[in-house]
Amino acid sequence: MAGITTHILDAYRGRPAAGVRIDLSFLEGGSWKLVKSIATNADGRTDGPVVKPEDAKVGEYELTFHIDEYFKTLPDASGAQPFVDRAVVRFSIFDAKQHYHVPLLCTPGSCSTYRGS
Amino acid sequence: MHDHSLTRRRAIQAGIVGGAAAVSSFAVAQTGGQQPGALVTAPVSQSGLSPRLTMHAIDTFHGTPGAGMRCELSVLEGDKYRQIKTVTTAENGRTAEPLLVDDALKAGRYELLLHFEEYFQKWKVQLPTPNFLKTVPVRFAIHDVGQRYHLPVLFTPWGYSYYRGS
Repeated sequence: MAGITTHILDAYRGRPAAGVRIDLSFLEGGSWKLVKSIATNADGRTDGPVVKPEDAKVGEYELTFHIDEYFKTLPDASGAQPFVDRAVVRFSIFDAKQHYHVPLLCTPGSCSTYRGS
Repeated sequence: MHDHSLTRRRAIQAGIVGGAAAVSSFAVAQTGGQQPGALVTAPVSQSGLSPRLTMHAIDTFHGTPGAGMRCELSVLEGDKYRQIKTVTTAENGRTAEPLLVDDALKAGRYELLLHFEEYFQKWKVQLPTPNFLKTVPVRFAIHDVGQRYHLPVLFTPWGYSYYRGS
């Protein structure tokens, strides 16, 4: 399968991060164009692929994870002033036939991303 | 595979194998060429220092400090990031001076743009085109200017992580 998928893990609570807004943008003519905004489901994933196989093309993409808003809902105060701001992951599709799984592991004070599978 | 194991053996002899055992047609650590900063420095404690923002780039692909990486620091003003300064990391993966110190440390939302692709190209790492990670924006917030903020970034050509360090 080709395309882009993502998964947000709340490493603070040790569970998927549900209801996080994600903005997908594509670099076109030197500026970022917002393609769509989606939200994670109860499993921390999106209901459909972020980019479908047939829509994947070589180029630069940006996923903006609104985890600052998400962590503000923590029951204690630890998420009230998170160090990690709205996390932005910029990456490229270099081969449109391959799949790009781009997960985000996050806490209010840290985040991590990688090309997953 | 013969070439790869030879490469790895040489790397072990040189004592530079860290998490660099990536067996991929891309992003294979090259030996015989230059390597990023050698590990000859001890950790640095900043305990007791005045409020400041510092960073530390750690190349977990080569298992070395991320030496010689260009980084641009910007602050969010309105809905745009305004560049404050451009720095290049030293041999130890840190910057010679703090990014912001004392009065220059202001509350706000910041971005540190890291030039990963340029960095790995400099060290002759084979990358796809366009590379998976080219310039990476690390976004973080400073809430209390009475505190120290340390920003370590651990990175490879295929991923990175950052956190509030100390």
